[in-house]
Amino acid sequence: MHIPDGYLSPQTCGFFAVVMLPIWYKASRAVGKIVKSRYVPLLAIGASFSFLIMMFNVPVPDGTTAHAVGATIIAIILGPWAAVIAVSIALVIQALFFGDGGVLAIAVNCFNMAFVLPFVGYYVYRAIAGNAPLTSGRRALAGGIGGYVGINAAALCAAIELGIQPTLFHTAAGVPLYAPFHLAQTIPAMLFAHLTVAGFAEFAATAGIIAYLQRANVPILKINHANIPVTDEELAAKRLGWRWALIGLAVMIVLTPLGLLAPGGAFGEDAPQDLDLSKYHLSAVPTGLEKFSSFWSHAVLGGYGFHSGDHPVIGYLISALVGIVFISVFLVAFIFVVRLIMGKRGLADEEEGAGAGGPPPITV
Amino acid sequence: MASNTVDPDRLARPLGDAAPASQVQPGAPLFICEGMSYAYLERFPALDGVSLEVRKGEKVALLGANGCGKSTLLKVLDGLMFPDAGTFTAFGEPVTEENLEDEQFSMGFRSRVGFIFQNSDAQVFSPTVREEIAFGPLQMGWPREKIDRRIDDVLGMLEIAPLADRAPFQLSGGEKKRVAIASVLVMNPEVLLFDEPTAALDPRTQAWLVELILELNRAGKTIVMATHDLDILETVADRCLVFSEDHRIAAEGSPHRVLHDRELLLRVNLIHDHTHIHRLGSGEEAHEHEHDPAHHAAQRA
Amino acid sequence: MSDTIAHGDAVPTPTWLVTGELAICPCGCIGKRKKGSFVEKTLSGAVGVMRSAMFGDDVAQQRGFLQRLDPRVKILSFLGLLIVTAFVRNIPTLVAMYAATVLLAIVSALPLGFFVKRVWLFIPIFTGIIVIPAMFSFITPGTIILPLWHWNGHPVGITAQGLTGAGLLVMRVATSVSLVVLLTLTTPWTKLLAGLRALYVPRIFILIIGMAYRYIFLLLNSVTDMYTSRKARSVGNQTNDYKEGQRVVGATAGALFGKAHTLSEEVHMAMVSRGYAGDAKTYSAFTVRAIDVAFAVGCVVAAVLVLGGDRFLGV
Repeated sequence: MHIPDGYLSPQTCGFFAVVMLPIWYKASRAVGKIVKSRYVPLLAIGASFSFLIMMFNVPVPDGTTAHAVGATIIAIILGPWAAVIAVSIALVIQALFFGDGGVLAIAVNCFNMAFVLPFVGYYVYRAIAGNAPLTSGRRALAGGIGGYVGINAAALCAAIELGIQPTLFHTAAGVPLYAPFHLAQTIPAMLFAHLTVAGFAEFAATAGIIAYLQRANVPILKINHANIPVTDEELAAKRLGWRWALIGLAVMIVLTPLGLLAPGGAFGEDAPQDLDLSKYHLSAVPTGLEKFSSFWSHAVLGGYGFHSGDHPVIGYLISALVGIVFISVFLVAFIFVVRLIMGKRGLADEEEGAGAGGPPPITV
Repeated sequence: MASNTVDPDRLARPLGDAAPASQVQPGAPLFICEGMSYAYLERFPALDGVSLEVRKGEKVALLGANGCGKSTLLKVLDGLMFPDAGTFTAFGEPVTEENLEDEQFSMGFRSRVGFIFQNSDAQVFSPTVREEIAFGPLQMGWPREKIDRRIDDVLGMLEIAPLADRAPFQLSGGEKKRVAIASVLVMNPEVLLFDEPTAALDPRTQAWLVELILELNRAGKTIVMATHDLDILETVADRCLVFSEDHRIAAEGSPHRVLHDRELLLRVNLIHDHTHIHRLGSGEEAHEHEHDPAHHAAQRA
Repeated sequence: MSDTIAHGDAVPTPTWLVTGELAICPCGCIGKRKKGSFVEKTLSGAVGVMRSAMFGDDVAQQRGFLQRLDPRVKILSFLGLLIVTAFVRNIPTLVAMYAATVLLAIVSALPLGFFVKRVWLFIPIFTGIIVIPAMFSFITPGTIILPLWHWNGHPVGITAQGLTGAGLLVMRVATSVSLVVLLTLTTPWTKLLAGLRALYVPRIFILIIGMAYRYIFLLLNSVTDMYTSRKARSVGNQTNDYKEGQRVVGATAGALFGKAHTLSEEVHMAMVSRGYAGDAKTYSAFTVRAIDVAFAVGCVVAAVLVLGGDRFLGV
C-alpha cells in the first residue's frame, strides 16, 4: 500500500499534504498534553516499533505470508493520535532512508496508513470490545476485526487516490499522465488483495499481540485503558454491551456497498454501447469511470445537472471529491456516534482520542 | 586505546575550568537521605526506610542482590524518582519533584550530578556520538564554541575521537559505555552515579573503567556505584552499603569488613553457600566451585 | 554485528535487492508471494535493513560531487527536481532527466551498475509489469495502433494513448526513484536528518525521527535474537500450521513492544538526567558555500529548462 512517486499527480500530493498538516498538528498537541517530556522517547520508540512490525511476515491461511501495517495495534496500545505520529514517522523513515513509498507521496501514504487505518481500526475495536474486561478474548477479537476493517479502509482510500488519476490528469489526447487505472479497476484490485490476504495478516498481528499482552504484559495494555477492569471479577455488574457488536456489524454493512460499487464498473461487464462512446473518439473519458461518474451524478448529484455528457471533467472532479468527502464524513460520523453512545452508557471514563475527549492517558 | 590510565592534568582541563564553585567543604555531606521509601505502582516496594549520607570526595558502593533497590536508590539520588516517604537533600537543598520544576534549580542539580546507566543502549540515544555528547550541554544552553571544545576534550580523554561521527549501532558494547560516560563527563558533574558499571564488559574494558573511576575520584569527584562485582570492591570503594532483600540497608562498613562478613553476604543473598572468597593480592576474589549435584538439589529443595 | 561496517573495494549488494518480492511495496499485498517460513523471511528482511543502512553510510562517506554539497541545499534541490519530474508531460523530457541523474551518480563516485540496478529493481520494473493491461483500449481508450481481436465488432488492442501513458509512468517512477536514491546514497543519514530542518520540519520531529531510526537497529537485534533462538529450538520441526505461526508472530511482536516500552522509559530518564525538560535542542552546523549556491542555481536553471522544453514538446 506504499504508493511510490510517479503514480500520483503533484496536485494530489499537495492536496493531501494540506489535509495532513492539521492532523499532524492536532496529533502532536493531543499526545504532548498528556505525556509531556516523555513524548519524544515514547513516540520515537513507538515509531521504531511501527517500522519493525511492517517487517514481520505473518503466515496467512493460503500458506504464504503477508505483512501487517500494525497501525491498529499501536492505536489500541498508545491511543489513535499517538499512532498517527508513530506510523507517520515510520513511513518517513521508510521513504527517506529505505526507499519504500514515495517522497512526494508521503502525505498520501500517511493519510491512508497513519490516519485512516489507526482511527477506523481503533474505533471498530472500541465498538466491538465495548465494556469487556481487559483480559477477555473479546478484546483480542475486537482488535483483530479493527485491524481487518482498518486496513481495508486504508486500501480503499489508496484505491480511490490511484483511481482518480487518469480521470483528472490526462492530456488532451487522452494519455493518462500518472497511474492509468480507473476506480473500476483499482477498487476491486486493492480490496480483493486486502479483503483476502493482507486483512488477515493485520487481523492476526493485531489480535495476536493483544492476546500475548493479555497473558504476559497487562500493564502495557493499561497504558491506554486506565479505567477498564482487568478481569471479569473486577468488572462491575454492568449489562454486556451487546449493542456494540451491533454497531460493529452496522459498520460492516455500511462499508459493504462501497465494495459492491466497484465490481459493477469492472471493464469485463461493460455493455457494448458503453464502449461505443469511447471507440475511436479521442475521448478523455474512460468507460469504467463514466459509469462511476454517472452513479454519482444520478444517485447523488442528480438534481444539479451534472450529467457526464455535459460537463464530464467537472462531473468526475466532483465525484472524486465526493468520494473523499464521503469517507471523511463517514469516519467523523462514525466516531461521533460511538462517542455519543459511549457517553450515554457511562463509559466516558474510557473516552480518549479524537476531539473533545482529550488525548489518551499515557501514564505508566 | 594506548593506555589504560587517565592523566590527571588532562582530566583537570576539560573538567575543572567551569566547575560551579562548590560551597561544600571537603568531607561535608553532599547527599542526605532520611527514611526514604519507594514502591513501584504503589505496590511493589523497592526502598523501605533507607537512610544514608554521601560525603564529598568519597567512593561509596551499594551492594545487594538483584532487585534489592540499588538501582532505585540511584534514580532517586539523580532526581529521576521521588520517594513516597522520607526526604532527600542534595547540596543543602531538598530535592523534590516540585523543586526540579524550577529551571535554575533543575539546571544546577542536573549539571552537578551525572548518572551512567547500566544499559548504555538507553543512554546513547542520539544519531551520532558527537550529538550524543552534545545533548547535555545543549540542554544547559552553553555557547556553541564551549560545547565543541568540551566535546573534543572529552573525546580525547576517553580515547574515542575516531568514533565521533559514528552511529550508535556501529559501536561495540565497550565503546557504547565509553560514549555514555563521555556524555556525562562533558558536563563536569561533581557526583557520578554508576549503575553496575562493569556489567557485560570485557575484562580489558573493565580494568580501564576501574582505573577511570579512580582517576575521577582523585580529581575530586564523588562516586556512588551500585554493583555486585565483589572482585573490584576493595579497589573502587571506601565504604559499602549492603542492601538486604527486603529493601533496607542491612550493613555499612569498609569493603574489607563487608567482604569478610560471610554470614552477612549469605543473609542478603549476595553469595551462594558454595561461593568462596579468596585473598588475591590486594583485592578479594569470589568464585564458585563445582560441587556434588545431589548436594545442589538438596539445597534447592 | 554492530561494530563492523562493510568496508572494502568490492561493493556488496544488499540482500533485499536480490531477494525482493515482486510487489508494489514490501507488504506483498499485490503481486506474487512466495511460500516459505515467515521466520526466515523476517530474519532476512532484518539483515537486509542493517546491510542497506551500513552500505548507504559507506557510499555517503566517499568523495564525490554530491557528497560535498550542503545537505539542506541538496534536499531542497532534489525536492524541487522531484516536483519538476511530477509535472513533466513528455517521455523524452523524462528520459533526459533520468540521464542527468545517471550523470550525477557517475560524478558522485557511485558504481554505475549498482546505481542502475538499485533504481530499477524493483519499483520501476514492477510498475512496468502492472501497467501492461492499461495499454489496452478497454482501459485506456484511444487510437488503436495494434488491434488484437474484435469484440462485438469493435477492435480491441493496444492504444497509442495507453502505450504513451505506460511509458510516462515507468519513466516518471524511474526518474523519481533515481532522484531519491541519489539523495539518500550521497548523504549520511544524520546529515539528511539535520538538513530536514531546512524544510521547516519542527525540531521535535527531527529529534523523534533520529531517535526512532537509532532504536530500529536495537529492536531489530531483539527480533533477530528472538527468532534465531526459536529457530535453534525448532530444528527439523518446521510447522506448517499458520495459526501456530500467527501465535508466534503475536508473541514475538508483543514481547518486542514490552521491551520497546521499557526502553522508552529508560531513555526518558537518561534524557532528563542530562537536563532535558521537553524542549528539543539539537546540534548541527552547516555552512553554505559557493559550490552549494552554484548547485542550487544549476537546479533552478535545469528546472526552468526542463519545464520549458517540456512545454516546447507540446501536449
